[in-house]
Amino acid sequence: MSTGLVVPATVAAAVVAALGLLSTALRRRIGMAHLTATGVLELLLVVQAVVAGAGLAGGHRPAELATFVAYLGSVVLLPVAGYLWARTEPTRWAGTVLAVAAAAVGVMLWRLLQLWEVTGG
Amino acid sequence: MAEARPTGTDTAGGPGRVLVALYGVFALATTSRAAVQLATQFDRAPLAYLLSALAAVVYVVATVGLVRGGRPGRRTATIACAVELAGVLIVGALSLADPAAFPDETVWSGFGRGYFYVPLVLPVLGLLWLRSLAAQNSPPPKSPPPPKSPPSP
Repeated sequence: MSTGLVVPATVAAAVVAALGLLSTALRRRIGMAHLTATGVLELLLVVQAVVAGAGLAGGHRPAELATFVAYLGSVVLLPVAGYLWARTEPTRWAGTVLAVAAAAVGVMLWRLLQLWEVTGG
Repeated sequence: MAEARPTGTDTAGGPGRVLVALYGVFALATTSRAAVQLATQFDRAPLAYLLSALAAVVYVVATVGLVRGGRPGRRTATIACAVELAGVLIVGALSLADPAAFPDETVWSGFGRGYFYVPLVLPVLGLLWLRSLAAQNSPPPKSPPPPKSPPSP
């Protein structure tokens, strides 16, 4: 868990959100670009989850461990859930659905980093 | 959730799908937060944490109502949105007026500032969306529109 991974993941989330909002603005459905960007985001999140899991196994203990683990799990699932929920939407609003999920991921990443760095001794 | 389409086509399609996504995220976030707070530190701020739990229930009910759709789903969602709006306004005002009563943040503290004020905007969007659906769904008014009978006491 470090800014070295959080920053690229946040950028990827911002790209997904921007693509989503763009397709809504252009009145288009989501397409290959959205799938690719969401895939990249998901890959970064999985890498981050593995790194954080290794850190936990190595003895790092965030003060709010339960919250941290819940966030870590949710943040990995969110892009997948968002994409599935958007994919079945036949109108231009699919992109906004994806943007909502990506925005939530972006916020949660920084909250995760906060939680990770506060170790309650 | 393709199987939900037949019942939820009205409330969970188009812009409604965005609302479901937002409500889903908040249902997840507030439920897990309330669960952790109630389980690990209930004594610290019972009022705030019970309010967190209430907020979580409201978000879950609103999400379910929107996904299910139809007349009962819309009614459920409308009530949930109204409770949510009242909650965020009342708790928001109280948390600013008497911070000592809210030693820990709830979703609705400071009108939802910890969540970028989304909790304040969300019920308004929800109610507007439900109202626009109700306008679409009601039969075109005959002339003159039938007088609404006042609710009997």
